[in-house]
Amino acid sequence: MKFPQAWIIAGTLVTITQAATQEAGLPAWKEGERVQLEKDGWVAGGALLAKDPAQVSTAENESKLPEPTAGEIAEPENPRVELPEKFWAEYFGEKPKSFLVDPQGLLSTVDHRDRLAFLNYHASDSAIDLYVYVFKGNQEIPGEAREEELIERFFSKGRPAAVVYYYMSAPELSAIYLSPSLMGAIPGAEQHRALESSVMQAIEKPDPSKQIEAFLVQMSIRIYWMERLAGLGTAAAEPMMASASRPDAPVKKHKMMILLQPWIDKSKPLVLPAALLCASLLAGLVMTGWLRRRARYRFPEFEVEPRLGGPHAAGIGAVISFASAAVPPASQRDQVPDYLKRY
Amino acid sequence: MKCPRCVQRIHRAASLCPHCGFSITDADARFGGEELRLRCLTDSAGILRRGDRERVEEAMKKISKRFPQIFVAVYTGALGEVAHIRQFGFWLLNRSAFEDVPVEKPNEAGILLTIDPESKAAGMVFGYLLDPFLEESDTFECLSRAHASWLEQRYADGIIRALAELESILCKRCRQARRDPEHFQRKVQPPAMMGDTVRRIRAGHRNESVKQSASTREEVEK
Repeated sequence: MKFPQAWIIAGTLVTITQAATQEAGLPAWKEGERVQLEKDGWVAGGALLAKDPAQVSTAENESKLPEPTAGEIAEPENPRVELPEKFWAEYFGEKPKSFLVDPQGLLSTVDHRDRLAFLNYHASDSAIDLYVYVFKGNQEIPGEAREEELIERFFSKGRPAAVVYYYMSAPELSAIYLSPSLMGAIPGAEQHRALESSVMQAIEKPDPSKQIEAFLVQMSIRIYWMERLAGLGTAAAEPMMASASRPDAPVKKHKMMILLQPWIDKSKPLVLPAALLCASLLAGLVMTGWLRRRARYRFPEFEVEPRLGGPHAAGIGAVISFASAAVPPASQRDQVPDYLKRY
Repeated sequence: MKCPRCVQRIHRAASLCPHCGFSITDADARFGGEELRLRCLTDSAGILRRGDRERVEEAMKKISKRFPQIFVAVYTGALGEVAHIRQFGFWLLNRSAFEDVPVEKPNEAGILLTIDPESKAAGMVFGYLLDPFLEESDTFECLSRAHASWLEQRYADGIIRALAELESILCKRCRQARRDPEHFQRKVQPPAMMGDTVRRIRAGHRNESVKQSASTREEVEK
């Protein structure tokens, strides 16, 4: 036996193979045991040990359970109703002029003012505008108003925007949509997280008014992070520049500006003609200057009788002394012979 | 118009200064009677460096280009007493031949700027072509512009400033002359004789009397 180890390994392998081929047998009822237990009235694990438990139980249930009555069928507490058609145009007819869209007046005047002020503040501080459409908790968006299409139509141009459909008293139904310029930059998971955290903040509040407030505050915070994610955070100056084009953006106007505003409004139609006039005047001036620079000047030639015997010139001009700064040109203007000077 | 020596006013076509008797002959006696050959920019005093010369020549050329009838010459040299610079300018413009000036531009169309760095004085004279258009005060304005630079011995800067001012004055005068040439012509016309004046006055009186007699006749007829 040169290789005893080889014999040992081969033997072990054969044993393992035989053990694998012999499966352990399932437990089975001994004769009389099951009958005895059934007589006692209860078989522990009977359903499991039945030959086809599923069939047995289903058949039993079907035969035993009575049909539910109409009153017993559970109905949702708040059945969903479609948004009244008269509001469709105000919600979905055009790009909102305000960051807060509430044509149904679901928010009180004070709440509306406060929420709008907050959204305006957000817009002045962030590169991403936040538009909020407010619906009743049980309202349903009509099928005709497809959100993606609306976002595409209204928010493709201009500043990046996040649009939130907020349901009063049911913040968990809220939905968020991003303008096309942000879609590629911010993943869906981030949008979902933003919405989820905002909803969590909202549902902690008992009052619908407080709910929307908490929702918007949290959403504004999350938008800040979206802004960073989209690489818009560096463009800090951009919101300031674009503030003029924002709807209802709070612009601090000087008193003088307020007084002059009517005049400014009146003069707006004249801006273009005035600009054209100025441009043409400027062009005219430039042209005149250019022509003057290129102009050639010729003096008329008159017959001049020679003086003092000079064949070419007798027009003596001035003489100036620059010997001393104490004798400025002004004091040398009157060029008279010394003997005529008064001292 | 003033005499280069006594700076007194002289009348048109005076062959001698009525105050001091000065004429070109006196200048010839002082500076020499023979013709001189010069270049437009003659720096006998050696106050201009190479770069300066180019800048000054450029300014001179600019004037010649804008005013095709005119040329500008600059002469620097030590002349002695300040009082002589006016006479010297008068003499130089009359007696020199500028080599680099085209033949069609006679000295009548010249403007000569003379600078004496020794006596620290400068003068400007001009030919008969510009006699109706330039005044002594115009040339004084040009020299005044250069005064500050020349005080600091920045001669080239001063010359360029003086020529820039001269250019603007010439432009102005040329436009005025185009609008009202008679105004300038009157300045160089020979003075009217006394007889002419009397004749004009009498003619005026005659016209008045004719008008009066005609009006009285009309009244009588009525």
